[in-house]
Amino acid sequence: MEPLIGMGVLALMGAAATVAGASEDLESDVGSQSNPNSQVQLAPQMMYPHRIYNKAISGEPPSNALMCAIGGTTASVLMTAYSMSPLFAIAMGALFAAIVHGSYSISAFLGRPASQKRFKQPVYLDVLRSHTPVIMGYSYITTFCILVVSYLMIAVLGHPFPLPLLAFIWGITVGAIGSSTGDVHYGAEREFQNVEFGAGLNAANSGNIVRTAESGLRNGIDNSWFCAKFGGPVTGIAFGMTVFLSGWVTTVFNPAASLTMGWLSVVAGVILVLIMIIWNRKIEVAARAAFGPYKEDEVAA
Amino acid sequence: MSAGGEPAVAGGAVAPNKIIAFGILGGLIGIYAAHFLDSMISPVFSFMGALGAICAIVWGADAVRRVCSYGLGTGVPSIGMLALGMGVVASMFGLAVGGIAGPIIAFVSAAIIGLIIGVLANKVLGMNIPIMEQSMVEIAGAGALTIVGLSTTMAGTFMFEEVLTFVIAPGYIAVIFIAGGMGILHPFNACLGPDEHQDRTLTLGFEKGGIAMVIAGLVSAVAGSAAMLPTIMIGVFIWYTSFAKFYELTKRDSYKILGSGLLPSEEELQ
Amino acid sequence: MIDVVSILSANILYVVLITLGGMLISLSVHFVPVGGAPAAMAQATGIGTGTVQLAAGAGLTGLVTAGAVMAVSDSLPLILAAGAVGAMIMMSVTMLVGAWVYTYGVGVPPASAKIKYDPITKDRQDLYVSQGTEGHGLPTVSYVSGVIGGLLGGIGGALVYYSLMSTSTGLTMTNLIGLASIFAVGIFFVNAVIPSYNIGGTIEGFHDPKFKKWPKAVFSSFIATFLSALVGVLAIGGL
Repeated sequence: MEPLIGMGVLALMGAAATVAGASEDLESDVGSQSNPNSQVQLAPQMMYPHRIYNKAISGEPPSNALMCAIGGTTASVLMTAYSMSPLFAIAMGALFAAIVHGSYSISAFLGRPASQKRFKQPVYLDVLRSHTPVIMGYSYITTFCILVVSYLMIAVLGHPFPLPLLAFIWGITVGAIGSSTGDVHYGAEREFQNVEFGAGLNAANSGNIVRTAESGLRNGIDNSWFCAKFGGPVTGIAFGMTVFLSGWVTTVFNPAASLTMGWLSVVAGVILVLIMIIWNRKIEVAARAAFGPYKEDEVAA
Repeated sequence: MSAGGEPAVAGGAVAPNKIIAFGILGGLIGIYAAHFLDSMISPVFSFMGALGAICAIVWGADAVRRVCSYGLGTGVPSIGMLALGMGVVASMFGLAVGGIAGPIIAFVSAAIIGLIIGVLANKVLGMNIPIMEQSMVEIAGAGALTIVGLSTTMAGTFMFEEVLTFVIAPGYIAVIFIAGGMGILHPFNACLGPDEHQDRTLTLGFEKGGIAMVIAGLVSAVAGSAAMLPTIMIGVFIWYTSFAKFYELTKRDSYKILGSGLLPSEEELQ
Repeated sequence: MIDVVSILSANILYVVLITLGGMLISLSVHFVPVGGAPAAMAQATGIGTGTVQLAAGAGLTGLVTAGAVMAVSDSLPLILAAGAVGAMIMMSVTMLVGAWVYTYGVGVPPASAKIKYDPITKDRQDLYVSQGTEGHGLPTVSYVSGVIGGLLGGIGGALVYYSLMSTSTGLTMTNLIGLASIFAVGIFFVNAVIPSYNIGGTIEGFHDPKFKKWPKAVFSSFIATFLSALVGVLAIGGL
């Protein structure tokens, strides 16, 4: 294959992955999923009932893996058994995945508050009706983009894994990345805007999530509005970078050409990792200088 | 994810032994019925495999419910992934070497792997959960039966040649892995909380099983389209009835179901 | 039925390699700095997600790269290195972007509450821990630990996949890839869950006191993977 075509496909994959990462994070913010949801879950118990969606499907990796594997399976069935065009098959696959995801979301939203009867957390049906379509919309975008990435890897870059399995693996990865990066913005900042900026959540404030919005009561869509400014885009960059960089090293230095090229690709990957270690160190130093210590050194004082 | 208040009481209206029997017998009968009726009468009957898988999913969900009320130190999802991880290894082995006894060998080897991991978890890792060994056996066994059941529906038989061609090589095993795993872990995870009830959780197990059945029906179009429509229709029917039942039970169990409204007042919370 | 003895004697090397791979995965999870749910609220040091999922995300990314390289090359060291690079890139990117969020989105400096000085940079840690938390973000030592975790997990996953693919069998290539890849995924998940039970869901990296518990998990993984390797090789070799 022409190296230039390889790079073009890789760029397209990176772009699709970036969109997938961003929509994955916003989807989990609308519905409140994964680790930050533990505070939403805890709030009624601490006498803070709320109107935030409680989408406890599981960690994000399994729920995204489910969406992507269903989408990949449906697309693959439509392509093999009915000879549909890949684009149409992928769109149908994503649609079916979004419907299934909606069903999972509804069952979690009904199930969790109903198991909190003693804390008097009501089930608000208008929250269910307004949020579930948004969740399904985001999950459609995520699944569609992941399927595009997986399909391009197989059809153009010649990856040996079958489509459903590759989509499953990228689903796990996008979920792992989303819950590690963008969710922190939701959990540590958006849920606790009522405390001073620039500190982790004091354990004493657990469960005391913000429940009022600019006007009226806060809901999950308000949360995604906030997270779309930072948490969502950086999640997109993270997943885009993962897909792009892990493919980039083997596209530029193709191991199929010779063993030396293969080892050069490994060296390139290691250099990238070293750059990121140094970058992280720079951020650490800058953050410590900018924010300063929280308390004085008792020995020196 | 342990922020649900005090641990739920692991009892329930239906005794564990009944659900274990329901899962094993229902699972195996479904799988064998699918296999024999498919070859002897009509390929339409391969939907029986997915029915067997639903029995196993409900059983797995109940086992997860019992073990997770002890608090594992990590989320509920991990145990579902462990179940299917053990299950997929055991069921591929069972089907590959077992021939007609494949599902039973898969089930037994899953139980053995589960037992060993349960013993390791308690004795070596020091988790000290009294029912860990039994739960691991149950979860691994349920995982294996789920995988074999859904594979049988997809391929029309559990003979390894066909399963390999129609399920494993095209990668549909991945969707079995995750849809089965979510079917087992999601019901308890979605109903986690101090006022969790067994019937509501298990109803959700049927609902998620119905979704897995619809997916298996869709995939069965690749092996031959005869079984596709009946499987999808039965799956949708199971999904719909159990979802309606789940909504009924939610209305019964929840504090209030409101069309809309403000938060409960201070006096109400006292 | 199959000829157990001859299959095993022909493929004993691969059984050993798979077991080794599983032990590596198990060890790798101990290096990955995960703070679980508290870390998502900047309440604990580490990445704000679950152990199993993050290790799986990294390891399976490694599996994808290893699978791609294995399709075009048969050099074992190269395949292992490719798996390691894939997993390391995923871990590094995730942790780097996580650091962006902690620093620019939440406004906290990286700090660990379990050690007083970062063993790598010698930076003072305890003063930078905000009130009522167990640390937050990823100090350099946790970051490096996470990269090592990615390295070992990637090698482990690639080793399992390579060994399953190399087992002598009569299967066609497509069937073998399908079977070996799902076996590798299954073995990966088992070996990611075992250590996460060992560390109770959270760990800061190799400087964490909990890290010393690793022999227990690796021993458990040794037994569990050995069994899985036996049945895996028997299943593939018998066809």
